[in-house]
Amino acid sequence: MAKSSAIKDAEALLRSLRSAYTATPTNLKIIDVYILFSLFTGVIQVVYMAIVGSFPFNSFLSGVLSCIGTAVLAVCLRIQVNKENKEFKDLPPERAYADFILSNLVLHLVIMNFLG
Amino acid sequence: MSRAPVILSFLLLAVLGNAFSPENPTDRKILVLLDDLSIKSSHSLYFQSLQTRGFDLDFKLADDPKIALQRYGQYLYDALILFSPTIDSLGGSLNAAAILDFVDSGHDLILAADASASDLIREIATECGVDFDEDQSAMVIDHTSFAVSDTEGDHTLIAGDDFIQSDVILGKEKIEAPVLFKGIGHSVNPANSLVLKVLSASPSAYSANPKSKLSTPPTLTGSAISLVSVVQARNNARVLISGSLSMFSNRFFRSGVQKAGSTINHEKSGNEQFVTEISKWVFHERGHLKAVNVRHHKVGEADEPSIYRINDDLEYSLEIYEWSGTSWEPYVADDVQVQFYMMSPYVLKTMSTDQKGVYYTSFKVPDVYGVFQFKVEYEKLGVTSLSLAKQIPVRPFRHNEYERFITAAFPYYGASFSMMGGFFLFSLVYLYHK
Amino acid sequence: MAASSDTVTPSSLRLAFGNVFSLFILILIGVLAFSIRIFSVIKYESVIHEFDPYFNYRVTQFLTKNGIYDFWNWFDDRTWYPLGRVIGGTVYPGLTLTAGTLWWILNSLNIPLSVETVCVFTAPTFSAFAAWATYLLTKEVKGAGAGLTAAALLAMVPSYISRSVAGSYDNEAVAIFALVFTFYLYIKTLNTGSLFYATLNALSYFYMVCSWGGYTFIINLIPMHALLCIVTGRYSSRLYIAYAPLVILGTLLAALVPVVGFNAVMTSEHFASFLVFLILNVVGLVYYIKGMLTPKMFKVAVTLVVSAGLIVCCAMVAVLVALVASSPTKGWSGRSLSLLDPTYASKYIPIIASVSEHQPPTWPSYFMDINVLAFLVPAGIIACFLPLTDASSFVILYLVTSVYFSGVMVRLMLVLAPAACIMSGIALSSAFGVFTRSIKFASIGKQADAGDNSDGVTQNDVVKPDRNEEHPKEKASRKKKKEKENVEKAPIATKKSEKRLLMLPMEASVVAILLLMLLGAFYVVHCVWAAAEAYSAPSIVLTSQSHDGLHVFDDFREAYAWLSHNTDVDDKVASWWDYGYQTTAMANRTVIVDNNTWNNTHIATVGTAMSSPEKAAWEIFNSLDVKYVLVVFGGLVGYPSDDINKFLWMVRIGGGVFPHIKEPDYLRDGQYRIDSMATPTMLNSLMYKLSYYRFVETDGKGYDRVRRTEIGKKHFKLTHFEEVFTTHHWMVRLYKLKPPKNRIRGKTKKSKSKSTSTSSKRSATQKKNPWQ
Repeated sequence: MAKSSAIKDAEALLRSLRSAYTATPTNLKIIDVYILFSLFTGVIQVVYMAIVGSFPFNSFLSGVLSCIGTAVLAVCLRIQVNKENKEFKDLPPERAYADFILSNLVLHLVIMNFLG
Repeated sequence: MSRAPVILSFLLLAVLGNAFSPENPTDRKILVLLDDLSIKSSHSLYFQSLQTRGFDLDFKLADDPKIALQRYGQYLYDALILFSPTIDSLGGSLNAAAILDFVDSGHDLILAADASASDLIREIATECGVDFDEDQSAMVIDHTSFAVSDTEGDHTLIAGDDFIQSDVILGKEKIEAPVLFKGIGHSVNPANSLVLKVLSASPSAYSANPKSKLSTPPTLTGSAISLVSVVQARNNARVLISGSLSMFSNRFFRSGVQKAGSTINHEKSGNEQFVTEISKWVFHERGHLKAVNVRHHKVGEADEPSIYRINDDLEYSLEIYEWSGTSWEPYVADDVQVQFYMMSPYVLKTMSTDQKGVYYTSFKVPDVYGVFQFKVEYEKLGVTSLSLAKQIPVRPFRHNEYERFITAAFPYYGASFSMMGGFFLFSLVYLYHK
Repeated sequence: MAASSDTVTPSSLRLAFGNVFSLFILILIGVLAFSIRIFSVIKYESVIHEFDPYFNYRVTQFLTKNGIYDFWNWFDDRTWYPLGRVIGGTVYPGLTLTAGTLWWILNSLNIPLSVETVCVFTAPTFSAFAAWATYLLTKEVKGAGAGLTAAALLAMVPSYISRSVAGSYDNEAVAIFALVFTFYLYIKTLNTGSLFYATLNALSYFYMVCSWGGYTFIINLIPMHALLCIVTGRYSSRLYIAYAPLVILGTLLAALVPVVGFNAVMTSEHFASFLVFLILNVVGLVYYIKGMLTPKMFKVAVTLVVSAGLIVCCAMVAVLVALVASSPTKGWSGRSLSLLDPTYASKYIPIIASVSEHQPPTWPSYFMDINVLAFLVPAGIIACFLPLTDASSFVILYLVTSVYFSGVMVRLMLVLAPAACIMSGIALSSAFGVFTRSIKFASIGKQADAGDNSDGVTQNDVVKPDRNEEHPKEKASRKKKKEKENVEKAPIATKKSEKRLLMLPMEASVVAILLLMLLGAFYVVHCVWAAAEAYSAPSIVLTSQSHDGLHVFDDFREAYAWLSHNTDVDDKVASWWDYGYQTTAMANRTVIVDNNTWNNTHIATVGTAMSSPEKAAWEIFNSLDVKYVLVVFGGLVGYPSDDINKFLWMVRIGGGVFPHIKEPDYLRDGQYRIDSMATPTMLNSLMYKLSYYRFVETDGKGYDRVRRTEIGKKHFKLTHFEEVFTTHHWMVRLYKLKPPKNRIRGKTKKSKSKSTSTSSKRSATQKKNPWQ
């Protein structure tokens, strides 16, 4: 009984999640895809590291951190450009995007430095 | 004040240079100090042999007030022969300390004692690591290996044949006949690595006063007694100490010898050969090495670097020559080793030689960084010790010398670049999707 | 100036005027910060101070000469002989790179300053920057008034001065600036939620990592604050933006610094930040989903996720704990462990405990170093709670942790100083706000438009009176400051001011302000005194004031100069590690150990040699190719930090590795003494002999002015060492190892061996002693 109710609950949850999510604007969805992509790449690398060992540790670190970093920066961007978020009413999306690019540049420069 | 050591070291260098110029290590000018001038004639054979080899002998009475070893800080002689066993105080400014200074500045010394040797002589010997029997009247007595003579003596004339096994010190030619010896014995400290017993007494020998009965066991017995010893000081100055002056005498040179219990009667004693050969050694005509042209470089390069990297392959070579008395000859041996040393040897290799004096080897620098030394420590019986140390730092990899583009890391590279590409793509899509 | 607050001008004009004025004040603060630190140059000369700065100076010279890549790959073969030291990989390069860049810029502008000059003045310059960074930080927390007060306080706080006088060219000089600036950027990001500042924050953190090992303080403090915010339900998207990019970018950047490298992800000091990063992400997700769902559905989701998530979390934590526990030191390095457990170092690592600045401070040193600020801090904390914002909670957390750390190590008093200044600045500024307002209201009557102490965060007036009760008692400030305050308050005040509910009587306010002025004056006097007298001594040149005038002891440089002029370039000099940096930098000779105490065994070897009898010591030194031994001896002039006083540490450190050295052998009934009651082991140790050799010749009695006693063994000879140089005041004594005897003496001992031995001595000295 409890189990079936839990499943039912979960179904209801998923449904409401989906319905809530479809309401989000496209640009946020693009960001979400981007985040998922980077997280996925990161997970692949961790799995790969678990298989072949952590020898070029710096490469592994930079690979994984570049993924996480990208994801985190994208999350930050998503928070800032989300119109529902009251905290960033004053922040124009252009400014947010410019910051995002700057952070990414720094991130990738560092990654390049650290990769070899 | 600060100048003083500089000047001094110059002086010291000059002094040293006078003695063994590195190019010409054989002594030339020898001062001979005698108890009385009759020794000059009674030992003339020995002196002649020296003179024919080109030495310039200067005979003086040991108590001559005008003798001086040095003038204006320069030593006047390259070597000293002390044939004055009974002298108590030397003439002029000379004393034991002056003689020891002479040795410490790289000069050679032949010292012959005798029964009733004076304290001065004993002191010099002690300072060189040789302890004469303290009993002033003691002599070495051997009732089994004495030299057979016409008169039944007190067995103090000994026929010694227990030589040191060294071609360098005693020459290649084997000394067949025993050496006649009559004098006092001495002992050396076995821990003293600088002193070598060249002629030891037989196991049945002992040191005591032949005139009196033995009341107590003799302090020196058996083959612990050394009859003739040589010292090679750390600065390669060589000292010969003999307990017998008569060993050098014409009489002993010429006399025949028959060892007690032996049937062979040698026409001529081994003294001349023994003494001549050993004085060649003492005066650096033999066993004096020099190492030159120490080189090291990376394999495939010619220049000597100021620093190596870990795991570099390098080649090391040096040339070793031996002084033959007149010229430098290639020194041939198969036991010259080089160490790559930092607190302990990381690499220890025996070097190959081309038989022309060049020794070489090659090895890989260990995977440890630090300040290393190329060390060649060559110490062989009788030859001057070679001790070369050359400092060379070994550094770790530079930042750009590590391996790059490791295959195992390609997925990570891929991920990083895909992130970059993704960022670019994302920018395009995000900016233009409207 | 006070008049300006009364004039009613258009707000924009007032604002502009206020801005210009505060800029002007800031410049003055910078000048003050710089100039208070150049007492050492004026009183002594423009030299590098102490020990570590000499190393930094030497590294900077190398950097300016050889460029950054050679510096990065520098393998130094002149220290830690024969191990050498990879300088590029073991040094925090921030300071040297900063000074090198400064020098390069100056030179390319055709200002030909020497590297040494640049190095000497780096610290004062950066303390001015630090003051400005403090202004920015405090401004973010409590407004410009507090910012200016804090900046002025920081510019002259003795604790900071002690580490940043001109010539004190050490990591802390730039690190404090980096620390405060990083905190400022964090707060700024937290307040604005701008990714731009977050990036800057990461870069500033990078600079901090480059500069000082104390960066771990940041990387633990900020996660702590983030966690605090989450726990107290103050999570916001701004927190996420401030924290998450900092961790990722900061970790990457930190891993770029060679000395940190993989430690940035491998040691426990950094784990807190990753843990908080995970928690933050989870919390962020939860908040996001919560925003999307109806409350009811959210409840359902929570029950589902929590039940599943708890299990996973427990497993994770268990694994993590197991991993950390399996490593021997639990993944913490010794220095950090000694921070958490103050007794750790003295128990396990004598080498850390032997450094005086690693000892816990005494109460007087708090008063000495932060003076009246210590009393202002509690008031500042209260002010920060009114109201509590993210920023002020951060400052409070900073203060609390730094108070703890400073209690562990004297050296970390330096971290406390900015926190104390910020707190005091806030306290003072609030107090002045209240008092001036009281005066103003009293003077202009019932007028409604009053200046409010408007900050980034508007204050609530209702709570002010609470603070007023205590302020008059303990507040202090500087004269200058008050005037600033008055100016500050009014111009920035906004029109929409509220009515005062309560205010103090005018008389009380005036008295309180006067009292504060008095205390402020006291603070200033103390700071100037500290800067001029207490902290400006370069410690390589010493002075003493006696009845017949000033004595200057320049023995150290005398000795180093002797070394550099009279010894061979490749000669090795052994000394206790304190003097290693100076020897390499000033005498340019190879040393065995130096102040970078990375190899305990090597130091223990030197300690053992110093504690051994002559012959054993000679053998140890000879095996290390040592030519000269340097000892510092203060017994003649009463210089207390000499080698004899450090000797027990040598014994302890040596005994820690070589068990045949036992501390009790050097103590008589547990007492360390060098008089006639000293143990034979002590009297025969090399250190004793080298220190007191020929000492009795100075006064005939051998009276040691440091230990205040006559020495135990007065007449003795050295057999394996010979004295080559002793400086004018005997503070530095140099000995040379005698070469092995040319001949080995026989063992015959005669009745007249006296003459023999003397002559042998004579011959030995004649040949080997260059000083005859």
